[in-house]
Amino acid sequence: MKQSTQIAPKLRSGSQVLIEALERNGVKQIFGYPGGTIMPVYDALVGSSLKHYLCRHEQGAALAADAYGRVTRKAGVCMATSGPGATNLVTGIANAFMDSVPMVVITGQVPSALQGTDAFQEVDIFGITLPIVKHSYIVRSVTEIPHIVNEAFQLAQNGRPGPVLIDLPKDISAGMGDVVYTPPQAWPATDLPDEDAMQAAAEMLSRARRPLVIAGGGIAISDSVDEFRQFIDRTGLPVTTTLKGLGVMPADDPRYVGMLGMHGNGAANHAVQNCDLLMVVGARFDDRATGQLAQFAQSARIIHVDIDAAEISKLRKADVAIVSELAPALDGIRPENTANPGWQAQCAGWTKEFAWRYDAPGKGIYAPKLLRDLSRTQPEGLTITCDVGQHQMWVAQHCTFNNPLEHISSGGLGTMGYGLPAAIGAKIAKPDATVVCVSGDGSIMMNIQELATLKRYGIDVKILLLDNSALGLVRQWQEIFFEGNYSEVHLTDNPDFAAVARAFGIQARSIKEPEDVSDALEWLLNTDSAAMLHVAIDSMENVWPLVPPGKPNHKMMRSNP
Amino acid sequence: MTEMNNTLTIKLSGSEGAVIRALGLIERRGFSLVKCTVGEADSSGRVMEVSVSSTRPGELLKRQLERLHDVFHVDLKPVAAVKPRTSGIRPVTRRI
Repeated sequence: MKQSTQIAPKLRSGSQVLIEALERNGVKQIFGYPGGTIMPVYDALVGSSLKHYLCRHEQGAALAADAYGRVTRKAGVCMATSGPGATNLVTGIANAFMDSVPMVVITGQVPSALQGTDAFQEVDIFGITLPIVKHSYIVRSVTEIPHIVNEAFQLAQNGRPGPVLIDLPKDISAGMGDVVYTPPQAWPATDLPDEDAMQAAAEMLSRARRPLVIAGGGIAISDSVDEFRQFIDRTGLPVTTTLKGLGVMPADDPRYVGMLGMHGNGAANHAVQNCDLLMVVGARFDDRATGQLAQFAQSARIIHVDIDAAEISKLRKADVAIVSELAPALDGIRPENTANPGWQAQCAGWTKEFAWRYDAPGKGIYAPKLLRDLSRTQPEGLTITCDVGQHQMWVAQHCTFNNPLEHISSGGLGTMGYGLPAAIGAKIAKPDATVVCVSGDGSIMMNIQELATLKRYGIDVKILLLDNSALGLVRQWQEIFFEGNYSEVHLTDNPDFAAVARAFGIQARSIKEPEDVSDALEWLLNTDSAAMLHVAIDSMENVWPLVPPGKPNHKMMRSNP
Repeated sequence: MTEMNNTLTIKLSGSEGAVIRALGLIERRGFSLVKCTVGEADSSGRVMEVSVSSTRPGELLKRQLERLHDVFHVDLKPVAAVKPRTSGIRPVTRRI
């Protein structure tokens, strides 16, 4: 009698299938926090190849995954339970969405039969996150898990990246199924840039007398820094960058006029307001970059190169649009003549006129100078993550970056509390880099609990805490635009931050005198484990220049009125 | 600013959340929903017909909808201009 060749089905839990699908998608590290409905997944995690980092708040996990995704260009993965665990992820998901960061988010959900009954720790996280995800799923069977996970990673990482959410009801994660893993299908190739559009762009660039390029975050996201620099080498065009484009050009390149926008460099803002042709590469005319839109680069025609067709003419009409990956477009645009010596000299003149100065009056530590010194103390292999506020703008202005991935900053969402978890994600993604979190006394308190994560895993992150005992950027606006009517911005009752760090087992120092800066920076960068340098600065120091709201970029204020 | 009416025929996935994802995007991007018909889903998805009104160009909404993974195809048909309204639509202005 012939022996049966039929193999008994191998039943596995949804959680086991999920973990395997993550492993097969190349995931090595994930950030998360356990809880009721995600417990089956945490059960399956034990013994897997995945290294899980327990952050001490789900927002920390999501923001760490965000930075991990920025640095690796692969989706960072974060995970939390249903209800409050899931809602605590929301800020991190929005952060990734606004800055086009690849991320896969896994949330536990109450069992399918209880969904829609206001069960314990039930929230409709699928509904809550609809406006801030690239795509999302509610898993309805164990068998669909491999396909959903594969597609989630492809969606998160291809085209314009973004966060993808997978909501996993507990009956699915704990349920059993006979699942055969199928590898992901090939992702359709992106369209090549349109030849006619590239030709039109080349002709416009050849004819322009005052052409300027805006380099945006898309260049780093699409790994096109080399192609961009080759394009600039070929054409000699002057370049400004957005906040997220910082590092696309070396800071000392003679063609680079600095960052544009609300707290941008005067040279960049004058160049952009005077150009007659603006080529925008991987940027989206954000209001902090443009100032008053109607008067932004008023006499310029626009060439817009972006992978996302929805960005074309969204805010500023494009005369020529090229929708494709950036690298082939940058390679394919070949203007015949872009030499405009008069215009290039004018840009160089502005660069000289608006060069940053570090001879500020005052007795205390001048934060811009300290940040410039930080970049000079270690010019290579330094990755800086930021929180949000005055210190973030000073980092953008005064630190120098050889590559955009060295500058990890919450651009679109402006998330206070980003810096410390972002430093954790960046350090785990890039263990050989020196990672410095530059934070403020307002921002650091938003995710201070992640000091425990540093200690728990021995993550060597350096924290440079600029403490002006105020919510500095809001205070500055109240001083200038609200007639000094200070409302809820003074933080003179801050804790002793160095003592707080030590309580978490993190070594710390405090300084307040300019003559201590050099030694303290050396100490911070050369400690062999996580450390905090707490720096007391003048609470009335402001960020200059400043383009007032509703004003065009060239109407910037350079000092107090 | 003159408001324009546009009709969009949206071919989209029949999967969970697809309809609300598309409708949410329409309002979020500054278009008022005038009328909406949602067809029955079959194996190839479903068709939704939406009339919208906005001072913003309908072409922008078409491209935003086409970004969604659930949306397969969008046809846009402009309808006659309507009278300006005093409320309802957020103009494209800068936030502070």
